[in-house]
Amino acid sequence: MFKYVLRRIVVAVPMLFGAMSIVFFAMRILPGDPCVAMMGDQATTEALADCTRNLGLNRPLPVQYVDYLWRSVQFDFGSSLRQGYPVSEYIARMFPHTLVLVLSSAVVAALIGIPIGIISALKRRSPLIDYPLRIIALLGLSMPVFWLGILLLIVFSLHLDIFPLIGGGDLDGVIHMLKNGEAFSSPRDFLVAVGDVLHHLTLPALALGFTLAATVSRLSRSAMLEVISQDYIRTARAKGQGERAVVYKHAFRNMMVPLLTIIGLFVAIALTGTVLTETVFTRPGLGKMLVDAIGARDYPLAQGAITVFTMIIIVVNLVVDMLYAVVDPRITYR
Amino acid sequence: MPSPVRSRFTLLLVTVLAVLLTFGLAALVEPPAAQAQKKILNIAAKEPDSLDPHSSILGQTQAIVRFTYRGLTRFAIKDGKVTTAEVQPDLAESWTLSPDGTVWTFKLRKGVQFHKGFGEMTAEDVKFSFERQIKRTPGTRFGVNLEVIKSIEVVDPHTVQIVLKSFDAIFLLRMVGYQQGYIVSKKAVEKYGEQYKWNPVGTGPFYFERHSPREKIVLKAFDKYYGGKPQIDEINWFDVPEDATKLIGLEKGTFDLLYPEAVTADFASQVEKMGAVIDRRGPGQQERFYINMTKAPFDDIRVRRAFMHAIDRKAIKETMYPGGLGKLAISCVPPGYFGHIPMTFPEYDPEKAKKLLAEAGHPNGFTIKNYFISKSFFYPKVLTLAQEQLKKVGIIVELQVVEHATFHENIRKNLDPFVLYGGTRITDADPWLSLFFDSKEIPDPATGNKGTNFAHYRAIDDLLAAGRLERDVKKRAAIYAEAQKRIERDLVCLPITDVAGQWARNPKRVSTPFDPDYGEFSLHYSYNYPEMLKVLN
Repeated sequence: MFKYVLRRIVVAVPMLFGAMSIVFFAMRILPGDPCVAMMGDQATTEALADCTRNLGLNRPLPVQYVDYLWRSVQFDFGSSLRQGYPVSEYIARMFPHTLVLVLSSAVVAALIGIPIGIISALKRRSPLIDYPLRIIALLGLSMPVFWLGILLLIVFSLHLDIFPLIGGGDLDGVIHMLKNGEAFSSPRDFLVAVGDVLHHLTLPALALGFTLAATVSRLSRSAMLEVISQDYIRTARAKGQGERAVVYKHAFRNMMVPLLTIIGLFVAIALTGTVLTETVFTRPGLGKMLVDAIGARDYPLAQGAITVFTMIIIVVNLVVDMLYAVVDPRITYR
Repeated sequence: MPSPVRSRFTLLLVTVLAVLLTFGLAALVEPPAAQAQKKILNIAAKEPDSLDPHSSILGQTQAIVRFTYRGLTRFAIKDGKVTTAEVQPDLAESWTLSPDGTVWTFKLRKGVQFHKGFGEMTAEDVKFSFERQIKRTPGTRFGVNLEVIKSIEVVDPHTVQIVLKSFDAIFLLRMVGYQQGYIVSKKAVEKYGEQYKWNPVGTGPFYFERHSPREKIVLKAFDKYYGGKPQIDEINWFDVPEDATKLIGLEKGTFDLLYPEAVTADFASQVEKMGAVIDRRGPGQQERFYINMTKAPFDDIRVRRAFMHAIDRKAIKETMYPGGLGKLAISCVPPGYFGHIPMTFPEYDPEKAKKLLAEAGHPNGFTIKNYFISKSFFYPKVLTLAQEQLKKVGIIVELQVVEHATFHENIRKNLDPFVLYGGTRITDADPWLSLFFDSKEIPDPATGNKGTNFAHYRAIDDLLAAGRLERDVKKRAAIYAEAQKRIERDLVCLPITDVAGQWARNPKRVSTPFDPDYGEFSLHYSYNYPEMLKVLN
């Protein structure tokens, strides 16, 4: 197992390198210039030349590329061209917000999607149950997150006034208290901060989670259908096991392997979903930051964000591969 | 014995309940009583890219720095209105000009304090503020507006002498607290270096407290502001990119002031429906076409005239900005700018346009391939309207909608034979005409010139040079009137709409002493006197 993980990490290095190189060149192939983007209609020839020189963008591309790689190896991603903050610091601030959003929407998607998928598979012959569930799934698939998001905001924030309209809550506070141990010395404050974060997280997680739940339910339905028609299920039934035991003990565990693969993919989908979710709910986060960085041609920031996205996807896939062995003892890694 | 699977589900259920309970608790946590008494102003806008007033042209940045910085002069308040081309003393108490018109001596107001204990503002700070821009310190953007300065002398801590290369009619306008005119603390800039953009220190009514990136900027009332502590104690400047969210927030009471991305008829009607008002600050931005007179077929004046006959300006204006949302433009130098005169343009007449095209050898019109237009702001909408109108006379425009940055790049490569453009400048005909009609500003990819004379116009260079030297106000006005007449004659510019800077305000929460309709000038796309805003409870 250890050897396997090590091998995967070694393989991840060229992947990361490839992704970083693609981003580097893609950003520069895109027409448009960060200085023009920054100065807009007031960009004079002279000012543009000054700006280009100050940002080091007048150097030959290969020089910039080597410089970028060399700095990245030292974990120096440079500073945002626009706001001047160090990229690593910026990402460190945004990352937790995106992470909690992705995780919580994954939980929402799993809590809604998996049961719907399973029930819909098991009751596939009773139209009164299967059809409405499938319609819910279809609704989720066809409702864009920005639309659902605005709807949730109008109902739960504007009219019912239960949830806040904007922001990500006091996540900085939570992290700070966890770091310096205040979380345990003054649990009350900590709980209030956590509550604040969750309070801000509920609507975005529901919106993103619900749209993702549709995919999860469709996929878990078909995974369940496949498992339920296997020989060992018939055997289990034949030996007189109750339906509940058949489903939970035999079928559910076996459908976990294909489901885990989905969850791996799912993180990638959820990450792209954060872009719109973070915009609609006005949450700080990596997704929105990346889109703005590309729009402003803020090269270092966009490069940093994509590097982090790539790393997340690599890590999640690795974890998913390792989990296969946990859910299915027949799988071992050497 | 319960199955392990079932107990896991129970655990999950308990977790979910616990989470929901926490939400409930959080919702019940009330802000402390002290907070309720504080006068807090909540603004929804986009996040600025910097708080160094010399560093950014973004609307939101220019709007927020007006809260924290001041200049030597300011736009005059006359008869309850903020005027456009007259100035009053601000950080300077008085000034004199030498008989030859090249030496300005400013007497500074005594006792003006910088924020955060950076001490009294002195002539050193004034000298430093202008010199850092003239020297083109990396990150500064407006040095070009101070090029007229030859040297700056500190006479004593409260007297500064600025020597110009030659007389400059708009020098006092350049000294207004706007872009290059803001005075920064020398000590603070030297202390923070590159980090100054997020550690701003000015002399304005509010000081910078903190910035949570992608969330908000907090400003606080400066109790040593020379004009007296403002009524508002604290300002939260939220980063809200979506206009829909801003509107929900205004209705809910989360926000008191909105800086929208774009004010549409729909936006305006929603604001009105919820009992809020729109503060319009003219003259604002002008949207207009420049026609490249060196690019075929537009090098033929008949084709340019046909183009103008084909465009129904009123229809575009009414579609984009119905009623009071905008004004039909009447000149290539907008009203409110010194030197403005009304101009006339070929009226909308497709038949005449077709006839002119036929005369010019295009009886069946022509096609413009790969016409680039920005996908942002007003650009795509105005252009598709114009595209439809041009089609009626046989001019087919094949659009390529691109990112805003790409659009800026491509128009400077002269890829579009006519260019749609918008903007606001210092309110005088000189800087305005110099940027858009001076031959020095003709963009040219061969030389790397990225100027904004998209018409490739050369016919008013002599007038611009003369205007810059003229000291007689009336004669200056006459020079710019002549320039506008030449532009009218040569048909290189077709202005469509003058669009004011517009913010939505909840009048039950915030008041301003100026009339919502054009009561204040908006070079900053915002409030010139934020210290006069009042939070009502």
